Amino acid sequence: MGDNIDISVDFAGLKLVNPVFTVSGTCGYADELSDFMDVNCLGGFITKSITLAPRKGNATPRIVETDSGMLNAIGLANVGLEKFIEEKLPVLENFSPAVFVNVAGQTIEEYVAVTERLSSERAIAGFELNISCPNVKKGGISFGRDPEQVAGITSAVKKAAGEKVLMVKLSPAVTDISVIAAAAVEAGADALSLVNTFTAMVIDIETRKPVLANRTGGLSGPAIKPIAVYLVNKVYNEVAKKRDIPLLGGGGIRTALDAIEFIIAGASGVGIGTTNFIEPDCAAKIIDGIRDYCVRNDITNIKELTGSLLE
Amino acid sequence: MSEECLSSARGTFEAVVSFNRRIGPGFCRLGLEFSGEGAKAFAHFEPGQFAQLDISNTALPSPEAVPDHLRDAAGRNVLLRRPFSFAQMTAEGRKTTGELLYGVVGPATVRMTTLSAGDKLSIIGPLGRGFRIPEGKKTLLLVGGGMGTPPLQHLAQALTSQGSGIEIIAFAGARTAEALPYEGRLDDISQQLGFSLAEFAKCGVESLVATDDGTAGHRGLVTDHLLQWLEQSKLTPDEMMMCACGPEAMLARVSRIAAERNIDCQLSMERRMACGIGLCQSCAVECRVPGSSETIYKMCCEHGPVFDAKEVVF
Repeated sequence: MGDNIDISVDFAGLKLVNPVFTVSGTCGYADELSDFMDVNCLGGFITKSITLAPRKGNATPRIVETDSGMLNAIGLANVGLEKFIEEKLPVLENFSPAVFVNVAGQTIEEYVAVTERLSSERAIAGFELNISCPNVKKGGISFGRDPEQVAGITSAVKKAAGEKVLMVKLSPAVTDISVIAAAAVEAGADALSLVNTFTAMVIDIETRKPVLANRTGGLSGPAIKPIAVYLVNKVYNEVAKKRDIPLLGGGGIRTALDAIEFIIAGASGVGIGTTNFIEPDCAAKIIDGIRDYCVRNDITNIKELTGSLLE
Repeated sequence: MSEECLSSARGTFEAVVSFNRRIGPGFCRLGLEFSGEGAKAFAHFEPGQFAQLDISNTALPSPEAVPDHLRDAAGRNVLLRRPFSFAQMTAEGRKTTGELLYGVVGPATVRMTTLSAGDKLSIIGPLGRGFRIPEGKKTLLLVGGGMGTPPLQHLAQALTSQGSGIEIIAFAGARTAEALPYEGRLDDISQQLGFSLAEFAKCGVESLVATDDGTAGHRGLVTDHLLQWLEQSKLTPDEMMMCACGPEAMLARVSRIAAERNIDCQLSMERRMACGIGLCQSCAVECRVPGSSETIYKMCCEHGPVFDAKEVVF
């Protein structure tokens, strides 16, 4: 059963064996998930954010659980570009999924420097431009709220990326996500990923203080899924469809059924995040579940499903 | 890869509940049994390591069984796994059995009270790094505060069953007698100062109790009790070793006591964590860098939860 079903996708010129990605900050730098699943079953893999210099990250507590979700404020803690190249890149060379490096920084120059340095690396299929991190004081989301800034940073990083695919990760915390999406695409983005986390807060009512040391954090998990599905559908209809720009959709995906919702809404790829923390082999199960759905619904090619929402 | 290597790998396994026993107001002891690959993996579970339990599918107790102070919080959805160290782990033949301790403090642990023999749980482990006792130590002092006792019980069990010959003394502290999470009958023995807690007594380990209000054992902080003992001890610092688990303030005091006397000391740290397997980077512990005034964050789940006391910045 299912042998004649094609769940491969074309993603900005990349041929992926299936639409499932594990997303930045939830799957390590390379092979951290390999004790739990065969990471080579993935369609795509997005590394933890890489900045030019190593970053310590925020004080603790950095996370707090909420009803059907969690807040995180890690603060882009990462090993930095040089250590990434030295220690993690060699592992990624043996990877079969399309590897995207998530690039972050405080200045446009920093984003460009990281991207340029990695642009000739064979192991890397593309870059994910992080202009939507809500948990750092400089950079991150401050680049992602204003269409002119989005266009500026996208075109600068696009040049630095050379032949590699450039995907821009969008924040949901904007007035109109389609305006930002369009700005990124006009400036050269080959793909868009959405959504990053929603800025949120949890208060300890006994101490009357925020639980997170950073005060606020990014909300992820099943709690955000219906909003994320809506935003993917909106960007698909208003920006991506007519320009033939693939979307990596995600936000609270726990099962294949959730992933299929995003695909129907307009996503070509689906990103698994918070659920990796709970079921580190969930991506493999979701891939199987997507295939099962296709079998049940006589879908021979998953591409037919993208944007197939009936009104 | 050797057989040894394969069987000690971490992974996601199924555990079957063998018992779930209330041992005091708000404390329970949960028995888990592993078979197959899980038995092999958990046979290598070291004292101080931990595992992540999925409680999200476990039912809530009926409303009248929910403690009053948790009535509002109990109904929250549980999404993330919960980390637990073990108080005991025994491998026999093809089965490995473990026991953990939990306090009923929130939506996950209130659900755990409904677990009963035969129930199945998904568990990820063994995770992190446990206690490492160097050669040549004569006396090991265990210091546990509040709920911070399971890995110390496990350590006492492991060392005595290995016939290590090391003398072990357990210091156990809590706010009040009722908050001591032990099965030992406090009523019978609380009159005596140096009474034995059953969990330590069964491995031949002496235990010294302190409570803030003096309702059991020594009145005062467990670290004050420890200090008094150290002052009377004739052992040299390098013959001794301390292992501690408990509230952060207690760990800070133990760390200072160890540093002042130049005694080797390891601390089991606790942090909020989402994954426990190095993905989320939440469980940061601020650590010193030797020869530098800089500090770095090390992840409690991978570098710890057991840290050398000299490393940790309080």
